[in-house]
Amino acid sequence: MLELADVHTYYGNIRALRGISLSVAPGEIVTLIGANGAGKTTTLRTILGTVRPRRGTVRFNGQRLDTLTTDRIVRLGIAQSPEGRRIFPRMTVLENLELGAFARRDREAIAPDLERAFTLFPRLRERSAQKGGTLSGGEQQMLAIGRALMARPALLLLDEPSMGLSPILVDAIFRIVQDINRQGTTILLVEQNARMALRVAHRGYVIQTGRIVLHDAAAALLRSDLVRKTYLGEK
Amino acid sequence: MRRGLPWTALLVALILYPFVDRALGFQTVHAVSDGMIYVLLALGLNIVVGYAGLLDLGYAAFFAIGAYSMGLLNSPVLGSPLYGHPWSFWLCIWLAAAVSALLGVVIGAPTLRVRGDYLAIITLGFGEIIPVAIRNLGDVTVEIGSWRPIERLNLTGGENGVNPVGRPYLPSVPFETDPVPWYFLILIIGAASLWAMNRLRDSRLGRAWMAIREDETAADCTGVNPISTKLLAFALGASFSGFAGSVYAAKLQAITPGAFEFQVSIMLLCMVVLGGAGSLKGVILGGMLITLFDRVVLTQTTFMVRAFGRTTGVTALATADLTLWRWFFFGLGLVLVMLLRPEGLVGRRVRPAPITAADLEDGLEVAPAPRVDAIPAWLRERAQGGVAAATPILDVRGVTKRFGGVIALNEVDLLVPRGAIIGLIGPNGAGKTTLFNVVTGLVRPDGGRMIFDGGSLVGLRPNAIVARGIARTFQSIRLFQNMTVLENVLVGEHCRLAASVPGAVLRPPSVIAEEGRARVRARELLAFVGLGGQEDELARNLPYGDQRRLEIARALATEPRLLLLDEPSAGMNPREAETLTELIGLLRRELALSVLLIEHHMEVVMGISDRITVLDYGTRIAEGTPAAIQRDPRVIEAYLGTGYEQDLAGRESAR
Amino acid sequence: MEWWEVLVQQTINGLTRGAVFALIALGYTMVYGIIELINFAHGDVFMLGLFVSLSWFTLLGATKTLTGLQLVTILPLVFLLTMLTTAALNVAIDRAAYRPLRRSTRLAPLITAIGVSFMLENVALLWKGPAPIAYPDVFPSVDILREWFGVDSAIFVTTKDLLVVGATIPLMLALHYFVSRTTWGKAMRATAQDRETAEAMGINVERTILMTFFIGGALAGAAGLIQGMYYNIGQWWMGYQAGLRAFTAAVLGGIGNMTGAALGGLFIGFLSAWSDQYISARWTNAIVFAILILVLVFRPHGLMGEQTPEKV
Repeated sequence: MLELADVHTYYGNIRALRGISLSVAPGEIVTLIGANGAGKTTTLRTILGTVRPRRGTVRFNGQRLDTLTTDRIVRLGIAQSPEGRRIFPRMTVLENLELGAFARRDREAIAPDLERAFTLFPRLRERSAQKGGTLSGGEQQMLAIGRALMARPALLLLDEPSMGLSPILVDAIFRIVQDINRQGTTILLVEQNARMALRVAHRGYVIQTGRIVLHDAAAALLRSDLVRKTYLGEK
Repeated sequence: MRRGLPWTALLVALILYPFVDRALGFQTVHAVSDGMIYVLLALGLNIVVGYAGLLDLGYAAFFAIGAYSMGLLNSPVLGSPLYGHPWSFWLCIWLAAAVSALLGVVIGAPTLRVRGDYLAIITLGFGEIIPVAIRNLGDVTVEIGSWRPIERLNLTGGENGVNPVGRPYLPSVPFETDPVPWYFLILIIGAASLWAMNRLRDSRLGRAWMAIREDETAADCTGVNPISTKLLAFALGASFSGFAGSVYAAKLQAITPGAFEFQVSIMLLCMVVLGGAGSLKGVILGGMLITLFDRVVLTQTTFMVRAFGRTTGVTALATADLTLWRWFFFGLGLVLVMLLRPEGLVGRRVRPAPITAADLEDGLEVAPAPRVDAIPAWLRERAQGGVAAATPILDVRGVTKRFGGVIALNEVDLLVPRGAIIGLIGPNGAGKTTLFNVVTGLVRPDGGRMIFDGGSLVGLRPNAIVARGIARTFQSIRLFQNMTVLENVLVGEHCRLAASVPGAVLRPPSVIAEEGRARVRARELLAFVGLGGQEDELARNLPYGDQRRLEIARALATEPRLLLLDEPSAGMNPREAETLTELIGLLRRELALSVLLIEHHMEVVMGISDRITVLDYGTRIAEGTPAAIQRDPRVIEAYLGTGYEQDLAGRESAR
Repeated sequence: MEWWEVLVQQTINGLTRGAVFALIALGYTMVYGIIELINFAHGDVFMLGLFVSLSWFTLLGATKTLTGLQLVTILPLVFLLTMLTTAALNVAIDRAAYRPLRRSTRLAPLITAIGVSFMLENVALLWKGPAPIAYPDVFPSVDILREWFGVDSAIFVTTKDLLVVGATIPLMLALHYFVSRTTWGKAMRATAQDRETAEAMGINVERTILMTFFIGGALAGAAGLIQGMYYNIGQWWMGYQAGLRAFTAAVLGGIGNMTGAALGGLFIGFLSAWSDQYISARWTNAIVFAILILVLVFRPHGLMGEQTPEKV
């Protein structure tokens, strides 16, 4: 469904991605893990068109994304829960969710999707009239994911959903991630928390300084000590 | 000889011009002198806008202050005691400049710390307030109850202005009747101003201005005090304006508030922007073009259009008056320049660095190794000075910082022993850069203490902390992009040099020696980091790895005892990272520099650090040797997720 | 007049001025909120609104005081036409002069905006000449207190005051509704709060910015029309002064905050009326600018805005 081929992305003079190639098949949860500054978020931003690769291609269901603008890419069926949540602080929970559906043409199906989001995240229903900036970290994360789901995407990009959350919340979020996947959404999960990510994913890529250094079934990666060594710089 | 030729020719032309004009009967000297005054004003504005990068929309206010100072001090209308003496003009121009400078300081001191676009509006506000005040201070009466301490005091002549104003006096020079002496007076003032400004630009102060214009925060963290430096630019610019204003008043013999409206400020801005902010030649060119356009082109074109209209019988053209369009054209000019060539006609074009094939290949990026033999001796000496070697060079205890409801740093302790390399690691958002910002003075801590080399750092400005001996580099490289490699390093030396305005302009032997030493040192540093020979390259054109090294060279130029490196190996390939590691090791070994470094590149930090501190959510969760940290379960959990270690142990034992 | 009558009169005066300022201030604050640009030319769009509305009236043959049916048909029509014209003008300015500079520093578009302002002012100068232009008395001016209530008072409240209130309030309510209830309004708010994320929602940021200029321009046009009908006079440089006063209002209320802009506009209206009366009209400009400077130096986020610290 999603395919990156030899992507090089620069920020000015700085090369952030050095030839990234990865793929996500429909129905999978694929995780991209790695330490800070490795290029995980840059990969997502390249997919979404926020930055353009200087070399390489990004394809979604065969169509090239690296030449499109972000709003067009989103309309093709990709949605994101960004790093740091980035919900709109001065808009209510409900408005945030409604904005997630901004690009949709099937307006009638929005209301049932809203219902589904509230069922998935009952805490949000309680706080639907509250301003986003007043929610706790965990609630904001739920809102970010819910907002992304409102686009009824074929592919959901999750950027560090565990950041800043307590272990219990992290468990809850990842359980929901699995639910969403079972209901039919393909997921590309970018995470620093290798353990949780590898437990829910089918396959995993490990990225280090802009390059994919490991790629295997998630279970295999979880078993080996290689991931830890990569993260913590052991030779 | 060839380079000097056009300048000599220009000079000769300028000197001969008024005589030629008189011989041919053109009578343009008067108007040209007026135009020259405006060019002088534009040069003054150039210091503020071009050098220091402060958008000033109310520059005419200082022009007015200069003119009215001359009026107040040297006019019979306002009853000045100075009027009538042969030396009064020559004294009053300096007084007027001083008054303007003073006003510049008064206005600038509270307002220059404000953001660029807001500052522009503030200057516009002052530019409006001054004419209003001038208009209304022609008749000042203060009444308190029935007591009238001030009655009908005429400070400015009000709406009618001041007329006449005292003229300069030189024996047998006909200032009263002949425009030619004025021409030469202004020419001499202009030449002197140019000379002074040229000297200012190529000085410690000039570099400081440009650094602030490029990146104020980086300049602050390189030892340049942004507030006092900006204030100096503002005051100097004001004094030029005051100077020009006083000459203007004496020349015109009548000053009215209407001559100092917003449009004047904008016309001056047009001259600076059109020619190229920061370039003296550009401003003069811009000034000449605009004066020419205003006074000649529009009128001549009107003649032609009218002639055309008469011959073709089109009444609209026959009665057209293009001089009414002047502000339209000025406005259009501003828009076009900003859209098409924002650096102005003469300014340096800022092009993005071309992508070379080498950038796209990998592993071929060669990084010259740092040369041990090239370590500057003076750096070696400086690093070894300081308080007794046993105490830590940096002692951070219990530092806390909150941003709104978020606790960024929670009672963090950090110790950097003298001559040690300490690594600071932690997951995203752990507070590492915040800690750097607190230590370098960019952010004020809410609690805790920080002792550097025996002295407290709390409450000090970033540039003061640099002067104490802490230098830093930034996560996203913050070089002064449009300055050369050498200039970048020279800015680093700013806090170790002493020359100020008089030194910059007059260049006594002490200043020349100082500059010479500074350049030698800068070159040595560049050679040391492997950038020797690239001195005149613009920083923005350097490849990434070189930029990182330049930032380090600039930091070393401040003669630090402690170096704070924020992700120095970000974006580097393994080979570059290796060279960097060597460099850091060299700095410690040869210079006894202490280093605190934030890194995500685990191989780098684990390889080079003596000890490592780990932060997570603003709290210190571990501290120890690299080997210990790699095995510390809390660290593993912080990075890889809670329970990772147990899972792993479980799986490994289950095999 | 008694002292209290003067006070009331000046307060009413301030209210009508304030309404106009509020409409202009909204345009400033909306544009700044979304692209952080001080649209220096906005005041001149207001001035052109007055000029343009005059042309529309003339075109429709309405040069004398409107009555009854005319009032209900021609007046709203002119409102609509004027607002559309100024909205289109504002959009054109953005596309031509500001849009190419989206990614540059904050100062470059400001300089460009100043250039545009001068161009507009000069066009107006050439169009209608330097002297004040007479705006026909198209709106009937009836002394309400006397004619409707039979009260004999020195205070002068006319139907024109009702016009100002009657035109401004629905406009502001409509704006509020648009911004808070409609999808496009939400898109505008989202773009102002976090442009990158808004784009990730599928919002076309450029189109949203255009819409902001469109609405801001329309409001300025309405303000110009109201100004013309109320004061029956206009001049080519009025945009500069009104613009700066309205900008002060926007900054005072918290730049980017629409309620703040409306309230700020009212405040500056009162302030200018009281200053004209009790101090002197010659000093009012200085006073307003002094307030502007004080706010920008000591409380740049205004009275109602939120402080946004700069990231290092």
